[in-house]
Amino acid sequence: MTKYGQAFLAGLQSNLVYRWNFGVRSIFWFFHLAVVYILWGAAYAANPTIGGYTFAQTLTYFVVIFVLQFFIGAFNEDYQISEDIRNGLINQFLLKPIHYYGYRLSVFAAARVVSGAFGIVALLVALPIFRGYIVIPHDWTLIALSIPAMCLTAIIQFSIAYCFGLLAFWFLEIQGFVILSMAVETLLGGQIVPLDLLPPAVFNVIRFLPFFYQAYFPAAILTGRKGVDFALQGLAIQAFWAFVLVCLAEFVWRKGLKHHTAAGG
Amino acid sequence: MFRGDLFIWASVELLWISVNVIMVGVIYSHTPTVAGWSMYQMLLLVGTSMLIQRFLMGFFWSGIFEMGRNVRTGLFDFILAQPGDPLFMASTRKLELDGLLNSLVAMGLVAYSARKLGLHPGLLDLGYYGFMVACGVMIHFSFLVMAVSLAFWITSAQGVEGSYFTLMEFSRLPKQAFSGLASVIFVWILPVVVVSNAPANEILHGFNRDWMLGLCAATIVWFALAVLVFRSGLKRYTSASS
Repeated sequence: MTKYGQAFLAGLQSNLVYRWNFGVRSIFWFFHLAVVYILWGAAYAANPTIGGYTFAQTLTYFVVIFVLQFFIGAFNEDYQISEDIRNGLINQFLLKPIHYYGYRLSVFAAARVVSGAFGIVALLVALPIFRGYIVIPHDWTLIALSIPAMCLTAIIQFSIAYCFGLLAFWFLEIQGFVILSMAVETLLGGQIVPLDLLPPAVFNVIRFLPFFYQAYFPAAILTGRKGVDFALQGLAIQAFWAFVLVCLAEFVWRKGLKHHTAAGG
Repeated sequence: MFRGDLFIWASVELLWISVNVIMVGVIYSHTPTVAGWSMYQMLLLVGTSMLIQRFLMGFFWSGIFEMGRNVRTGLFDFILAQPGDPLFMASTRKLELDGLLNSLVAMGLVAYSARKLGLHPGLLDLGYYGFMVACGVMIHFSFLVMAVSLAFWITSAQGVEGSYFTLMEFSRLPKQAFSGLASVIFVWILPVVVVSNAPANEILHGFNRDWMLGLCAATIVWFALAVLVFRSGLKRYTSASS
């Protein structure tokens, strides 16, 4: 087994320790869903469609967004990375033949396997409750296209979190930056409102930003809000951003290391 | 607090307020009313909810957040060694200026919405509003203390404080949007809707005795529960010292 495979297994074990956290998170997922149901249900009470979408389509969109976060969302990777730097644990990675990005990505994948399992449980519980409101897409081309979209989303989410975590090379406290970024990502990622409800001019600008591909894009493909042409164009832009962010992560890592002082024996 | 930190955290809070305002704007760009509430009525409600949350952030958040962490690491000994009630000492250790600064933004949102609605509340109405907001802060405080007190039982429960933010999302919704089981849970059992709707109604429709009594009763019950849970947890605390 490769060293990254071992890192994945170690990550799996350490994340199982925090299974209660994921359990609590999945319980509160229902509360998020309840807020969405109540708010949008009230908005749809006087309108059969909003922005051309029915209540069921909008609710399905949010269910998919929430479930995707369990599988491909970066939760607290930035905090873990910043703690590695602040506590000096990062020093061991400078001596070993393992790249820190690869190691962290392996641990991230392991964490998502654990949280994803809770996501499935939450979804299985939610489906009977919201069965009448869930619109399952039948276009297999879109479903197939959503797979690379989800993988690229995971890389984008992780790389952004990784870069923010590395800010600990320069700053003592990075939580402010992280939460600042989270507000932007939440809004421009489509977690607050489906981005296609924004004015078309705004939507056409946002679709060229990386945040667009952090949640909205795979959810829009999976729920059939957008067609195959849009998905193909989006995949190209998404691949571009994934590449840029991986390069940025490497650049910040190298710059940070020059700034880093390893103390102790 | 360092000037840079203050600027960043003030920006964080301002951005989150903006996110909520944008959400309301987007929804109302597609519909004139939600549960019978117009856009500016909804913004007044959101502003009130934010105001309560910013006061909580300003006065108590850091202390309560650190309390959970300190219980896990054993640093809570430091609080217990101080000559005062542990809950008071732990929760009032720090004042966060950024939260208090942004309470001005939330107040601005409430004032702007009231102006757009053509409302001119009197001094007494504003006094009742202030009292109700204070009750709301105490209810938020109580809920947060209970959530963080879980650390006495579940040492690996990092991040349960986040549950507070999830539940408080309900406080940005009008009571009329709730029906059936959701109304029973979120309006009557958990006071998450009452905390913001009661003061917002004070400005929108004037004094309502039922809202006031309901809010006072909820404040007393939830604060008592928080103290009870905290003290029960404290009995389980094992000091880090030898």
